[in-house]
Amino acid sequence: MKSKSMYIVFALLIVASMVLAACQPEQAPVVETVVVTQVVEQEGEQVVVTQIVEKEVTPTPATVEQPVTLNWNWATEPPTIDPALATDTTSVDAIRNLFVGLTQFNPDTGEVEPYLATDWETSENADGDTVYTFNLRDDIPWVKYDPTTGETTQVTDADGNPRFVNAEDVVYGVKRTVDPNTASDYAYVLYIIKNAQAVNEGEEGFTLDDVGVTAIDDTTVEFTLEYPGAYFPSIAGMWVANPQPAWAIDEWEDKWTEAGLINTNGPYTLETWIHGGELNLVKNPLWINADDVQIERVHGVMIVEASTAFALYENNELDTTGVPLPEIDRVKADPQLSAEFVNAPDVCTYYYGFVNTKPPFDDVNVRKAFVQSIDRQSLIDNVLKGGQIPATSFAPPGIFGAPEPGTIGLPYDPDAARASLQTYLDENGMTIDDFNAMGIVLMYNTSEGHARIAAAIQQMWSDVLGVNVQVENQEWSVYLDTVQKTTPVEDAPHVFRMGWCADYPDENNWVHEVFNSDAGANRLRRNCLDPNCGESTTSTFDEITAQAAVESDPDTRVELYHQAEEILAAEEAAYAPIYHYTIVQVTKPWLDRNYPLLGGNDFFNWTVDMGTKLDATGG
Amino acid sequence: MTRYIIRRVLGFIPVLFTITLFTFALMRAIPGGPFDFAGDRSLPPQIVANIEAKYHLDWPLWKQFLSYLIGDDLLGEEGISKGVIRGDLGPSLRYRSQSVNDIVATTFPISAQLGFLSVLLAVLIGIPAGTLAALNQNSWIDYTSTFGAVIFLSIPNLVLAPILIWIFALGLGWFPVAGWGSKPPYLLGFLPQLSQLNWNYISHAIMPVFALGTASAASIARLTRASLLQVIREDYIRTARAKGLRERAVIVIHALKNSLIPVVTILGPLFAALVSGTFVVEQIFGINGMGKHFVQSVGNRDYQVITGLTLLFGVLLVIANLLVDVTYAWLDPRIRYD
Repeated sequence: MKSKSMYIVFALLIVASMVLAACQPEQAPVVETVVVTQVVEQEGEQVVVTQIVEKEVTPTPATVEQPVTLNWNWATEPPTIDPALATDTTSVDAIRNLFVGLTQFNPDTGEVEPYLATDWETSENADGDTVYTFNLRDDIPWVKYDPTTGETTQVTDADGNPRFVNAEDVVYGVKRTVDPNTASDYAYVLYIIKNAQAVNEGEEGFTLDDVGVTAIDDTTVEFTLEYPGAYFPSIAGMWVANPQPAWAIDEWEDKWTEAGLINTNGPYTLETWIHGGELNLVKNPLWINADDVQIERVHGVMIVEASTAFALYENNELDTTGVPLPEIDRVKADPQLSAEFVNAPDVCTYYYGFVNTKPPFDDVNVRKAFVQSIDRQSLIDNVLKGGQIPATSFAPPGIFGAPEPGTIGLPYDPDAARASLQTYLDENGMTIDDFNAMGIVLMYNTSEGHARIAAAIQQMWSDVLGVNVQVENQEWSVYLDTVQKTTPVEDAPHVFRMGWCADYPDENNWVHEVFNSDAGANRLRRNCLDPNCGESTTSTFDEITAQAAVESDPDTRVELYHQAEEILAAEEAAYAPIYHYTIVQVTKPWLDRNYPLLGGNDFFNWTVDMGTKLDATGG
Repeated sequence: MTRYIIRRVLGFIPVLFTITLFTFALMRAIPGGPFDFAGDRSLPPQIVANIEAKYHLDWPLWKQFLSYLIGDDLLGEEGISKGVIRGDLGPSLRYRSQSVNDIVATTFPISAQLGFLSVLLAVLIGIPAGTLAALNQNSWIDYTSTFGAVIFLSIPNLVLAPILIWIFALGLGWFPVAGWGSKPPYLLGFLPQLSQLNWNYISHAIMPVFALGTASAASIARLTRASLLQVIREDYIRTARAKGLRERAVIVIHALKNSLIPVVTILGPLFAALVSGTFVVEQIFGINGMGKHFVQSVGNRDYQVITGLTLLFGVLLVIANLLVDVTYAWLDPRIRYD
């Protein structure tokens, strides 16, 4: 601890030129204003208005029990909490606490488990298409929080009957996501469903009715697929396939996700959402497992600046937060903070891609030399400092079909790296100066963190291989334009930074959707796309991942994915995997939380010991 | 004077039109679009086409601009935009349940409160400090004031703000680390509710207002000092003294009033800049102001947001400048507009 007098000295220096308004803290006001969003008829139109209602509040004596509250930082305004539109982790975190999915992932094993669906089976229909039939539970109520009364009540239909989540809600949700008018970014995730792609792309002769999802009865929903995807139960649990409240969306349109209007069906419901400021959740008392949900209120702020969030944490105003890089050494050295420090794996991978058809990176020896001269462990220990896992292949542990890190791919091997580069130089009759004259460019999107990593790796390449690599950066949108497969190869950088995180825990989402030359984003450009490119790579990688996508036997799929990872990372050295992300956080002793294998923050599985918390924060 | 003001207000129209046109054109000129990617991935072309169709980004640029300006119905289209001329700044492409009007309604009041208090602090410190320094030229008061001004001008917000948090929030525990004390709904759309004007509001405001206001206070102090030193040497001050006016009256009525012209000149743009939100201070103190939208909307290619905010800033700036010009006439009777 720094002495208090030191702060005072600093304080006096600053206060010297400043006059502070002398003000006495006031007692809590007895009249509280409450924001109410409601609908009024205005000039014949229905309009959503926000009104202030004054509410008598008796000043709460300190002895009255406070609700169990989690002080949380969303870190940014979620762009949306509409399941059909969400794409980012913040939005998805809010959605998974507000809405129920057909399936969910076991937090420890990552396996698909029943959620809204109790069980499911596959069959084949007359056309030979794979059909998944999900049986649903019938006791999950649709609820709505009323900001004026502070109560959560069950939604009723036009006839006054209570609404429970049923198969029609699932069908509506899926069709709404696929509907081109909804303009969902993630609609393509559902393209595995029969005709979903055709409908979403507005193909002639297809309507929403053609999408392969039907409600057989209230508790049975049937999906017809384009091809047998063994990973479909994972997709069915994704937010884009969540049941959605047709009546509320029809009534409020784009505004249906606002507090007071939204209808939800998950463990929590939305209390208030001040855009850019706060998003607060309250426990849904009607939730099927309400007895197991201990945290009653989530007070969620949106502090973007990591160092400010960390200061709030140190001041006991947040119960958990990420550790900013400059603070990591201090946190590890501090006896109290180091006990609160958590390092948990995250399902993301950081990698450097090579443009495989841009000379000299069209030669496998050059690519191998660049991969094998990266000392990942040193990078993690000296630059990243967050206990990241060195990656030699793509998908991290927890993903179905992913190899153990370090078992497949090319580890750090400076001698082999030099030998590979020498082979290339000899074959082409070049010297290292000739090689450097080619002006190798490493590009990343502008960010302090990426800059540090790039500088370290640039130095490793220089030390081990003696190559000079230019480092360049571009702003994110411009960067994505530059590295996409349609940029002329002479304008593309030789090496580019990229990261990938799991949408669903299956290798299909990794090697296939990212690297497959036909189906993936194909930034590696292993096949030749324009007249100026170098040699194309010919290998069975593309066929293997395509075959694994439609294969139904799990063991065969694992085998195929291991082969694919091996070809891409070791044989072709088409890219350089660098590390698997970790969560680097501090958590107060009174918060007991889990870290699901596949990421995400499930407040309904956490507990807060309010006694300890109030003692520490002084009530 | 009234005729002058009317003429100036009419003059705003081409200015604001040009601002809108330039912002619109510059944003479309930078590569990349709002829906090229979601997180780390690029989206399939058909998906992008669906979204672009929804927001009419598939229209030719001139038509998009007209739609933004006058609304879709006047173009004979079924559409989403009512047009800027009818006060509709359009939808946000990034925050898809919000319109630009929603964003302004939520964040502008906070920026305006923070900015207004900062300008107030700057004036309350800057003018007296500069006056004292000028009247006691080359004394210790002058040196202290000038030294303080140099210090606060040279410490960037980026440095001052975390130091304030470290000392006053974490060390001494006097003020909260971050946040702002008033929440929507606002009084008259931008003022804090009276019930929220308590110690909580003040304690949240002190550090950010100080961080934001001191640099401006420093420049106002220096400007006041320089200007007052010049005015004091004018003939009419000698006349005022010669006719036997008390020194206090000479300084306050004759010298200070005239010396404020350069100060008022910078107050106009300063006011517009601070009231419309500042990125760094708002970000470090976790304040939900408009500053972040100016910066992020460019990166997000959120066309309507950046155009709308720039337009709003333009409106504030031209109004502030008009007020400055009107104030000139009051400060210096030699200035007449009619």
